[in-house]
Amino acid sequence: MSAAVAVGILVAGGVFLILQRGLVRIALGFILLGHAANVVLLASGGMSTREPPLVGDGVPADTADPLPQAFVLTAIVITFGITVYLFALARAEGDDDDTEADP
Amino acid sequence: MSGLTMPLSIALPLVAATLLAVVRRPARPRRIVLLGTLGLLLAHHVVLLVAVADGAVLATRIGGWPGGVAITFVLDTFSALMLVATSLLALVCVWFAIAAGEDERSMFAPLVLVLVAGVAGVLLTGDLFNLFVFLEVTLMPSYALMSMSSDRARFAVGRVFVSISLLTSTVFLIAVGLVYGIVGTVDLASLAGAAADSPPLAAAGAVLLAALAVKSALVPVHGWLAETYPHASPGVTALFSGLHTKLGIYAIYRLYSLLYGGEARFAWIAVGVCVLTMAVGVLAAFGQRSMRSILSFHMISQNGYIALGAVLAAPAGAAAGIFYLMHHMVAKASLFLSAGAVEHRYGTGRLASFGGLARREPLVALAFIVPALSLAGMPPFSGFLAKYVLVRAAIGQGQYIAAVAAVAVGALTLASMIKIWQSVFIAKPKDDDRHEAPQLTAAPVGLVAPALSLAAVTVILGLTGDWLLALCEQAGRGLADYTAYAEAVVD
Amino acid sequence: MLLFAPLIALAVFALLVPVTYRRFGRDTGWLLAAGFTVLAVVLALQLPASGDGEVVTASWSWMPSIDVALRLRLDALALLFSLIVLGVGALVMAYCARYFSRGRHVWLYTLMTVFALAMLLLVLADDVIVLFIGWELTTLCSFFLIGGVRSGAAGPALRALLVTASGGLALFAGLILLSVHSGTTRLSAILDDEAWKSDSPLATTAAALVIVGAMAKSAQLPLHFWLPGAMAASTPVSAYLHAASMVKGGIYVLMRFSPLFAENPLWTWGLITVGLATALFGALLALEQHDLKALLAYSTMSQLGFLVAMIGVGTPEALAAAALHTLAHALFKATLFMLVGIIDRQAGSRDIRELGGLRRVMPVTATLTALAGMSLAGLPPMIGFVSKETMFAAFHDLPGPAWAGPVALALTVAAASLTFAYGLRIFTGAFIGPTVQRRLHEPSLLFLAPAAVAAAGGLALGVGVHTLNPLIRRVAVDTREQFAAVDLHLWHGWTPELALSAVTFAAGTALFLARDPVDRFLQRPRRRLDGEAAFTACYDATMRAGARLGSLTQRSSPAAHLPVPILALAAIAAAYALHPIAVPAPPRPTTFGVDWVPVTVLAVTVAGAATRRSRLGAVILVGLTGFVIGLWFLLAGAPDLAITQVLFEVITVVVAVLVLRGLPRRFHSASRRRTAVTAGIAVGAGIAAAAATFAFTGRRERSPVADYLLHETGPQTGGSNVVNTILVEFRALDTLGEIAVLVAAGLGTAAIMDLVAVRGAERTAASEQAEVPDSALIVDVVRRALTPVLVVLSVYLLLRGHHEPGGGFTAGLVGGCGLALVHLSRPAASRTPLPPIQTPLLAAGLLVATGTGLAALAAAEPFLRPAHGHVDLAGAHVSLSSSLVFDLGVYLVVLGMVAAALNRLGHYGVEAASGAPRDAPERAGAGERGDA
Repeated sequence: MSAAVAVGILVAGGVFLILQRGLVRIALGFILLGHAANVVLLASGGMSTREPPLVGDGVPADTADPLPQAFVLTAIVITFGITVYLFALARAEGDDDDTEADP
Repeated sequence: MSGLTMPLSIALPLVAATLLAVVRRPARPRRIVLLGTLGLLLAHHVVLLVAVADGAVLATRIGGWPGGVAITFVLDTFSALMLVATSLLALVCVWFAIAAGEDERSMFAPLVLVLVAGVAGVLLTGDLFNLFVFLEVTLMPSYALMSMSSDRARFAVGRVFVSISLLTSTVFLIAVGLVYGIVGTVDLASLAGAAADSPPLAAAGAVLLAALAVKSALVPVHGWLAETYPHASPGVTALFSGLHTKLGIYAIYRLYSLLYGGEARFAWIAVGVCVLTMAVGVLAAFGQRSMRSILSFHMISQNGYIALGAVLAAPAGAAAGIFYLMHHMVAKASLFLSAGAVEHRYGTGRLASFGGLARREPLVALAFIVPALSLAGMPPFSGFLAKYVLVRAAIGQGQYIAAVAAVAVGALTLASMIKIWQSVFIAKPKDDDRHEAPQLTAAPVGLVAPALSLAAVTVILGLTGDWLLALCEQAGRGLADYTAYAEAVVD
Repeated sequence: MLLFAPLIALAVFALLVPVTYRRFGRDTGWLLAAGFTVLAVVLALQLPASGDGEVVTASWSWMPSIDVALRLRLDALALLFSLIVLGVGALVMAYCARYFSRGRHVWLYTLMTVFALAMLLLVLADDVIVLFIGWELTTLCSFFLIGGVRSGAAGPALRALLVTASGGLALFAGLILLSVHSGTTRLSAILDDEAWKSDSPLATTAAALVIVGAMAKSAQLPLHFWLPGAMAASTPVSAYLHAASMVKGGIYVLMRFSPLFAENPLWTWGLITVGLATALFGALLALEQHDLKALLAYSTMSQLGFLVAMIGVGTPEALAAAALHTLAHALFKATLFMLVGIIDRQAGSRDIRELGGLRRVMPVTATLTALAGMSLAGLPPMIGFVSKETMFAAFHDLPGPAWAGPVALALTVAAASLTFAYGLRIFTGAFIGPTVQRRLHEPSLLFLAPAAVAAAGGLALGVGVHTLNPLIRRVAVDTREQFAAVDLHLWHGWTPELALSAVTFAAGTALFLARDPVDRFLQRPRRRLDGEAAFTACYDATMRAGARLGSLTQRSSPAAHLPVPILALAAIAAAYALHPIAVPAPPRPTTFGVDWVPVTVLAVTVAGAATRRSRLGAVILVGLTGFVIGLWFLLAGAPDLAITQVLFEVITVVVAVLVLRGLPRRFHSASRRRTAVTAGIAVGAGIAAAAATFAFTGRRERSPVADYLLHETGPQTGGSNVVNTILVEFRALDTLGEIAVLVAAGLGTAAIMDLVAVRGAERTAASEQAEVPDSALIVDVVRRALTPVLVVLSVYLLLRGHHEPGGGFTAGLVGGCGLALVHLSRPAASRTPLPPIQTPLLAAGLLVATGTGLAALAAAEPFLRPAHGHVDLAGAHVSLSSSLVFDLGVYLVVLGMVAAALNRLGHYGVEAASGAPRDAPERAGAGERGDA
């Protein structure tokens, strides 16, 4: 439930931002949407077991599903690359990042 | 043949990309490495296609981990066909880009190679999350390729492309999460047919398909394509036309057949989307005033045809759709390249600024009219066969509305192709034209040769396309029955 | 072989045209004529056998996977049309040799030959797909021959193409319908399929589609208007394609499908109605023409109407009559076209108002025109006389209500009278009356010869029409499977038809004599049935509609494109909300009380980030959101993620700040309405996403894959940090793909900034470095102290990643933070870019990682198979793994990416902030852009 609420907040904020004019704002929106996707991924492993998946001597029963964590790590890195690119794009035109010619 | 070598399809271009990222000059060795890599890839993919032409399925588990844990590369006839087609197009489009000097742009070569690696990954992977990763691998270099070549409004076009793709990727990723949340696996082979029994999985699958529909520019989520493609450089547009939306469609074929396994309850929605896509795309194309705008809207329309193949029941529908896909990739790229040759020479693609090019540029005219007629479904070109098999499949399955749309849209397709033909190649030359400058001679053969070579392919396919039809039927059977696919992954 | 030979020969001819043209010039026409003649003779040898009902077939398996084969079949019907195609073709080719001036006509000869090939394919095909290929090829040839390569005739060519090709599509649909339901594409098998011989909806649909196709091709009302336009083509083309053969394609197909549909009411009454209307209307229009070529075009249309009506009647006798009249028409109409071409060439005009009295200077031409005209008008002893009488006779047996026969007959007689009248006009207009141009003379005999042969043919076949009896009767058997009670003779005795002929002649003569009132009647202003204008209006309207439809989506702003997919997804969610599906209950609680802390903070920071108008504020709030997410990861048992998330957040904020320096402080304003709509969409999307997450996650036990990974990581890999092990071993391919994304992002950023650097070079050249206050002293101190620590830490994190939280990503990011510190702590004014290490780092990292995978492949192991080993290093037992090398690749790429971001964006930021003039000419358009 908590994960669903978090996703809802992040998606709403992200969608609101990507529908704005400035490319920086759009980029920020996609960062939030990226967080939302990561929260969904993590939730997909089930949030009922939450011990870090560091195994040494045996596996505690309430260890978290490690696979979604790996997914999220991959996704974070991809989002980072894209974010940097988006910022570059916002910067590339010089002094404004407006995506719409007239208000 | 074992599937061990499949990962070369991604490793080879990645290695070449690292090389060309560092060693950027001089141009000659760079071009040799670039074309050489793409040529090698094509050869490799032809070998792979031969290995699975009989319907065999090859698989290799990356890292050698057990099935279900490892990411698997799976090759069936469909993916092998797509590998060959995409690498052929990459080779020809890059050939054009080199002829037009587009490869002089910073980082063009390594970015194209990463893109090509990503395409191979998308086509080979048998893992849903890995599919997402490789889609990103195709997208990231494309953002840059699109932006750095845009001709208009600076980066505006790049922004639309990036933002729509990002949204699509995010939605896709969320849907992957939902799938894992529902069934606890992202291994495609274990998902075969699963959505038919699991309504939640069917719902998550619908989100996946919706994301892919955006990527494939199906109506109503088509607008971005016609807004962005015409404004990239000609070579890049041709490259994207052959690779990007086609990957979306590939994934639609794969996931629709795999997840839903012939479950047809909601097929009417999909048929409606396809019909709308065909109609809207062609109508809008007819209203455009520049070559690549017309061609881009046509691509939307044709994507509707291709997607229809996925919606019709396999194997007949899929076989027809896949043949249409193969034909379309070749014909469309050829058109973009011949239009690109004109634009590269004369600096504009506006229909109104041309006239009488057929006399001055007979080779370009030939390179245009052949794929144009092919696209319009005229014999003896591949487009005719493609339209025939698709309409036959639609009528055979009682989808009369789709069949009528597919046939009727052909008339408007022809009309808009002739519109380009007459205004660019036939009409009286305009007075104020810079291309009337007397010193301009016909375009160098090197610039036209890529388009001509693809035009030749559409003729050859039209006349002797039986082998490809047979392969597509094999591919369609593979989509209708995932037993062999699943067995290959488990073994 | 008999059947393939002519096709192959024609293909060879077409290929040889360019060669022979270089040697023989326009005389290539004679060579082609000779070739055509030989082919015609070879086929004609088959005449006696065909008359006896012998059918020659041939087949070549062409596309076995879709059951399409090059099946050919020569029966009497096919033979009749083949002979017309080749015979008239030979005459027209010979005519071309003198009609055209010397010059480049390679294209024309080639296309005419290809056309003959296509036409032959159409009539010989015994496969519906092959038939259709022939059909479409004739359309294409016609397009290119009318005006496909000339600017003058673009409009007519377009109309001809679109009308006939659209009709073709209808035929196409019909043929597929037939073949799908009959289970074969073999035409003769479909024709044997009894299922079509009913008036079921399916059969009627198929019949309608075939009819539409034929109407377009054979210029029947209301699809007739392209034919007069097609006269823009040169006269030989008109004679061959648009009189004798191509327009007969529709007739052929109708006759071919008569066995299936002749009993179908739609077929009968549709064809009779359309045919007679066209016959009458075409004749009327012909009568009002002054241009001889236009007159002939309308005449062709009218004559085709007779044929269509005859096929509609559908009795064996009617089909025999249609066959005979097809032959007669081909002969006299081709002759007339050729003669009009000669008149045009000699007299420089083909307008009967400008011609006159040519009989004195061109007596041979006059005689030939008289002969062909008599055949057209249906006068004895020409073949046209016999064919017309046969048609009259066929109406006697018209099925249906009693009044139908007489009415149809009356209309036919009316049309025939009009035909007689305009036939007279052709002749008198050109040859009778005072001679206007006295210095004209006959053209060379070679020019006249083809027309002479055709005219003589019409005469000979009129007198010797009985020799055609076997062929024509057999055509009736081929098309109606019944014997036709026809006995062709020039003289039938005193029959009712003869009386009707007499009526025709009388009425026609009267119409001719009363030409002034008739002309006044015809020329009076009236609402015309103008197909051409309708076509153009339709064409333009479609184009406008298309432009509007296209402009709906032609917006360059992302905000115009993004809502559609979001709304589509919301629609899917709404559909599920209306029809909920069952989901299992969670096996264990998934929400812990402590979760609500980050969620609450999240609500605040996200709301703030969305609503802040200050750029810096929004960036900071988004950064805070990232930290909260890091906390969330920690709560969820994912320390690796938490560390990575926080580190990325730091770098992202740094990069964002670098970018912001050159941008306006505040975001662009938006209208209240837009904000409301956007907020609505956002809330809808949020609810949908939340619902999906709630419904589809946390409702199952831990997955088998997860269990495997948790239990086998230690034994299989020696590692204990499962997440890192997944990244570098189990799913190393994901990681490889992801660093490829990073490499592309790094290179792409470089590529874009290169582009900007080129554009901005001139701008910044003259600008002076602005003085930036040096406020970085503290940071500088921190840097000196921290950088070595960060370097050591990053290497340590890399090495321990296999066991504890850490690994390539984290390590690379920590190193990246070091880079950022180095970069930022320098005074901005003296801030030079880092050395250009990013590209080598990115490339090296990707190469190392890919190389690890390839190394396994080289050892015949699966790609990316990790290898483990041990070395004794200074007495210590160190375990080494290839996955560590792989992780090193990751490390390098991450480091390179951070360097790229700092270098490219940071460096550029200095440039732009240091005073690039904003009103540089190339950015003149920027003024209208909001609040810059």
